[in-house]
Amino acid sequence: MKVGDFARNEVKPLTDLSKIRNFSIIAHIDHGKSTLADRLLEQTGAVDKREMEAQILDNMELERERGITIKARAVRLNYRADDGQDYVLNLIDTPGHVDFNYEVSRSLTACEGAVLVVDASQGIEAQTLANTYLAVDEGLEVLPVINKIDLPAARPQEVKQEIEDVIGLPAMDAPEISAKNGINIHAVLEDIVQQVPPPKGDRDAPLQALIFDSQYDSYRGVVVYLRVMNGVVRPGMDIKMMASGAVYKVVECGYLHPLGMSPEPALGAGEVGYLTASIKTISDTRVGDTVTGVENPAAEALPGYKTCQPMVFSGVYPADGSKYGDLRDALEKLKLNDASMSYTQENSIALGFGFRCGFLGLLHMEIIMERLEREFNLDLITTAPNVVYKVDKTDGTTVDIYTPLNYPDPAEIQQAYEPFVKASIIAPPEYVGNIMELCTNRRGEYKDMTYLDTSRVELHYDMPLNEIIYDFFDALKSRTRGYGSLDYELEGYRPSKLVKLDILLNGEVVDALSFILFADNAYARARKICERLKENIPRQMFEIPVQAAVGGKIIARETIKALRKDVLAKCYGGDITRKKKLLEKQKEGKKRMRTFGTVSVPAEAFMAVLKMDD
Amino acid sequence: MATESPVKTLGLYIHIPFCRSKCQYCDFYSLGGSRDKKLVDNYLQALAIHLKETGARATDYVVDTVYFGGGTPSFFGADNLRRIFAEVQHRFRVDKDAEITFEANPDSISDLLLRKLRAEGFNRISIGVQNDSDEMLKKLGRPHNYEQARQAVQKARDAGFDNISLDLMYGLPSQTVEQWEQTLRHVLLLKPEHMSCYGLKVEENTPLWEYRDCANLPSDEVQAEMYLRMASILEEAGYRQYEISNFAKPGFASRHNLKYWLGEEYIGFGPAAASDFAGKRYANLPDIHNYIRGVIHQDVPILSECETIPLRERAGEYVMLRLRTTRGISEDEYEKNFLMPFRPLEKIIEKLAEKDLFRQEGERWVLTPKGFLVSNQIIAMLQQAQEKSTPLAKKR
Repeated sequence: MKVGDFARNEVKPLTDLSKIRNFSIIAHIDHGKSTLADRLLEQTGAVDKREMEAQILDNMELERERGITIKARAVRLNYRADDGQDYVLNLIDTPGHVDFNYEVSRSLTACEGAVLVVDASQGIEAQTLANTYLAVDEGLEVLPVINKIDLPAARPQEVKQEIEDVIGLPAMDAPEISAKNGINIHAVLEDIVQQVPPPKGDRDAPLQALIFDSQYDSYRGVVVYLRVMNGVVRPGMDIKMMASGAVYKVVECGYLHPLGMSPEPALGAGEVGYLTASIKTISDTRVGDTVTGVENPAAEALPGYKTCQPMVFSGVYPADGSKYGDLRDALEKLKLNDASMSYTQENSIALGFGFRCGFLGLLHMEIIMERLEREFNLDLITTAPNVVYKVDKTDGTTVDIYTPLNYPDPAEIQQAYEPFVKASIIAPPEYVGNIMELCTNRRGEYKDMTYLDTSRVELHYDMPLNEIIYDFFDALKSRTRGYGSLDYELEGYRPSKLVKLDILLNGEVVDALSFILFADNAYARARKICERLKENIPRQMFEIPVQAAVGGKIIARETIKALRKDVLAKCYGGDITRKKKLLEKQKEGKKRMRTFGTVSVPAEAFMAVLKMDD
Repeated sequence: MATESPVKTLGLYIHIPFCRSKCQYCDFYSLGGSRDKKLVDNYLQALAIHLKETGARATDYVVDTVYFGGGTPSFFGADNLRRIFAEVQHRFRVDKDAEITFEANPDSISDLLLRKLRAEGFNRISIGVQNDSDEMLKKLGRPHNYEQARQAVQKARDAGFDNISLDLMYGLPSQTVEQWEQTLRHVLLLKPEHMSCYGLKVEENTPLWEYRDCANLPSDEVQAEMYLRMASILEEAGYRQYEISNFAKPGFASRHNLKYWLGEEYIGFGPAAASDFAGKRYANLPDIHNYIRGVIHQDVPILSECETIPLRERAGEYVMLRLRTTRGISEDEYEKNFLMPFRPLEKIIEKLAEKDLFRQEGERWVLTPKGFLVSNQIIAMLQQAQEKSTPLAKKR
């Protein structure tokens, strides 16, 4: 450390703990989380209205379109409260989907309070509940706020009552605001100052800082977002990630602002900010890990760290086989920013070279796919996602099966196992029948059911993970009018009757369409997949039999009839250019197709077999 | 006129964008009902200038086909056609055995017109007959009945035309396979030398397009059946299929139209006419006023498009156009002209031949009628294989 740095340290003291408020915003999609965040930024002068890009916290294009926040971000706001004192408000943004539950919980751990935004006309929604309980579990002070009070359908009093009844939070004094029109934002800021407790923490103790997010920057390496719990972190200090064991020297630390970062001489207990340390791999800075000093290390890590294991695996192939190298480069880059994704090379007879990628869940998978297609301009074919199976083989070995391509021959299988989860579903009681039916169809094993209060029931099921990953969440949503929320954790492996289902086009197995499933479901699923493929593969010059087989035995069949007529009747001088353009278009379309023998299969057909629930 | 250098041949197309009325299905550029005297004069003047300018650039060519298409050239009148043809002969070297075709509709064919044109050197007539049912003709918006068509053929014979082509259409609203067969049998009684039989294609910007959903058009299956029946009926009657939609008695294939499919050179005059000349493919804008202005005053461009076609693309065109014909494609021709390997294509062709879509005729591969029916698909497949292949020159 240079002398000047030290001197500056002395000049600029750390922020007074009692003047810090760390908080998150919890809201259902569309209830106005991002809009409220914008208003808070504006009113505290953190960002000029003119330079404000709408909803600045969600700065990934994709997030903005989907209306969900995928990766947490944080901003530091300076606010002079009505009591005349200056406060520092750290707003930490949270993702909002079951796939990212763990990341949400880490973000919440970094806060002492949470603003719960509820739509004045819609009331509480299931998705909000799960996160609210997560916040309560983390010991956060939850401040309800009633948004969209300017809408004609607003019923703030009823909604407040609902909050008190359902969640048990005092809500009668909750601010009634309109984030969109900037009404009553001041009251929210005052509530935060007065009701969110200031952070506790000992700045003289050994360093303990919680990583709640990290991001790769091609110039600085990984930027680690953290909340200091105890001690102080400074540039030049040698630090250690307690779970990963990685050791680095801090290059820079500082505060986070809406449009960038400001370096500071130190971050002390209670503060939220970032550090860089020339970190090259994001997997060294896992969310939930604790940063401590190499000299004078903390005795133990902060509680709650979990490694995020990919649970869902899928084959990812370039639609145009020659783009394999581009796909590899893109995955490498994405991986820098997303430690929870994994990928290994895979080779399919049908699709050529590609990758087997691991994801936290289906949403995570969809997001990654979309980013690959959009940010890297790739056209992809994704195979049906699967979970990791285990197989005891007759030769006494046990293998993990990440892809149907490696599923052993039935004769070599002693016993197969599939992963089960403990699933918890919360919903209003009137939907219990629907939920039970759904869970039973998905091979769920009923455990128990408890009334949380008169309006909410929590059901527990043991379920095969495989049944959840496809479209369970969507199915649950549609059967509970959007009120059902789902949480699950891995319970372990159980013996299961599994089979590999092969799909044959024109008599040839297309390995990329194979998948592993529960034996009793094979017939129904096989029939459906054949139907789907028939719908999604355009007619071609020959009749194409579409068959599904288990162990060589055909169990379902459809036929795609031959195309009878595709001809240009007239083609004279003036038609030639036009015809050429048409052929070009046709060829563009073909590029999105893969050819197996003589059968062309559009990329969409691979996707169509994924979603099974009608 | 005589030169020692090897002679290149050239086809000329002259577009006559005038007709009595627009048919329900027609998307050609034509002014229905108009034969405004001043417009006609201006048009003739523009054509004359254009022919003169172009003729000067084609001195090393011999014109061996001239085709007057439309619109309805017969509706335009014998004298106007004669004036244009005189200009053609004045500005180009026209071979004495050149094929000189004009299109005609039964309602605008008179003995006088036929005799005037025959005397001038026109030797081929293409008559739009379309169908033998008056009810169907009316539905299509044709300005004539079948009896007129029958008489028109007789008149043409009497005037000395010994190369008569008839245009027919199938896949018409409410048409059945039986109705189509009956049309063919009736038309065969007229003993034309040549027949063009087109499947109706519903084009955008036509009246038919607007009501296509309630037009009761035959299904693809029925249309395919009509096509195959037609091919075998005409074959039995002594006609040879030489292109997807064209059939002729031996020696009567349209020499002009073959140029389009064999990749030979042609120049088009008039709005919307297309050319493939001196390595470039270009087309005139579909607007007669623009054409007249552009040619006479030269203050607006007359071309809508113009491109130089690279060799590799020519290879694609070869596949696309030659496969329309029963000349088909051959390894020798392909590799020599385009320096590309034929094998990748042949691999696909051999597979398709097993399914009766291709047949081999000596060294040449030719689509069967069944193959013609799905030729768009086949062409796309072959062109895809082409794009992936490396030119032979580079390999060596």
